Amino acid sequence: MWHNTTDMSRWFFFLLAIAFGVVFGVVLGLLFGWFVYPVKYVDTTPDSLGIDYKSDYVLMVAEAYKAEGDLGAALRRLALLGNRPPGDIVREATLFAENQGYSDLDVNLMRLLSSALESGVPSPETPAP
Amino acid sequence: MRNERRGSLYLLTGLVIGMVIGVVVGVRHAWLVDPVNFTNTAPASLRTDFKDQYRALIAAAYMANGDLGRAKARLELLEDQEVYLKLSEQAQRTLAEGRYPQEARALGLLAIALGQAPSTVALPSPALTTTLQVTSATSPALTTTQGATPSSTPASTPTPTRLPSTLAPTFTPLPTRTATPTQGAPFILDREELVCDANIKEPLIQVIVLDAAGQQVPGMQVIVTWEGGEERFYTGLKPELGLGYTDFTMQPDTAYNLRLASGGQPMPNLVAAECEAADSSRYLGTWRLVFVQP
Repeated sequence: MWHNTTDMSRWFFFLLAIAFGVVFGVVLGLLFGWFVYPVKYVDTTPDSLGIDYKSDYVLMVAEAYKAEGDLGAALRRLALLGNRPPGDIVREATLFAENQGYSDLDVNLMRLLSSALESGVPSPETPAP
Repeated sequence: MRNERRGSLYLLTGLVIGMVIGVVVGVRHAWLVDPVNFTNTAPASLRTDFKDQYRALIAAAYMANGDLGRAKARLELLEDQEVYLKLSEQAQRTLAEGRYPQEARALGLLAIALGQAPSTVALPSPALTTTLQVTSATSPALTTTQGATPSSTPASTPTPTRLPSTLAPTFTPLPTRTATPTQGAPFILDREELVCDANIKEPLIQVIVLDAAGQQVPGMQVIVTWEGGEERFYTGLKPELGLGYTDFTMQPDTAYNLRLASGGQPMPNLVAAECEAADSSRYLGTWRLVFVQP
């Protein structure tokens, strides 16, 4: 009986040590992963950009399109943001811009690009090169 | 004694087994159950080629809106170490590829507008006695040339609220546009000289364009033609050598005609000429042409 009790006690402490080890290991891993050697994103693709950066990217495309009047160049630039239809990308960015209080000038540029993409032809407002 | 040692050992074994299980569970979770999904990344993490395209778009947008503050804020997102060098290097690379010359020009002009070139730039040859004064970034003279874009769009007004990340507070409008450098009288050839400098490895045609005030003029298109070929390039794409500087590598025994696209005096029959080194060996020298606006 005494022998069995000692064995049980040992098993208990053995399992307790394992449990403690698991917790300690996870904590150690998290500390290492978050503080010592945190994840550093490199070589990402533009479609992984945050919506704020994507919206600014679309705004840049719209600004360039307004000056150049080159819808092909605009499409080429928008293609970097992923395989989704360019019209959807611009619409989403425009919506974000409206909600975030971009200036009317910027929002209008994005709308201009959006309508040009829908119609498939350069906007008549586009200045001559 | 033996029992005590055994007791501590099995506890240590349990601890190690637990830690191994913990790590295995953690890694399995991280790799298989909930792997890393790259979302909401910042432009700084983009792959190099995507960064190049991002940078080119910033330059194109700058050409459209003339808003240097906005362009700067956007460039900061890429976290480049030496922004203007990156821009000018990419401009030269794009120009060499020959696919998007407008993009190359936009990159070059943005590099110039950022104007981190030293205030006094010595031309490549130490043998040269001429050292050209280049306007610095903060000089008002530079701001008169940075608006030299093909677009007539006025400088945009600052946006009150913008991206929460970094852009909002730094957007500033450009000063009012002034005349482009190509306006006014056509450029004339002021100096043509053969530079004998053994440190210049290949024979070059160096072109320097100055305005009436003696300031170097960036963004001037130079056209070089020869039998069976033509090349166009712009001043200012090597800002470290001067905002109004550009060069072209000559082939021996080929005659080149050079002119500025904006008009003015052409230079016919430029041929690589020989120079004599101190040890009496011979090498091909460099032609330097300085165009000025009267």
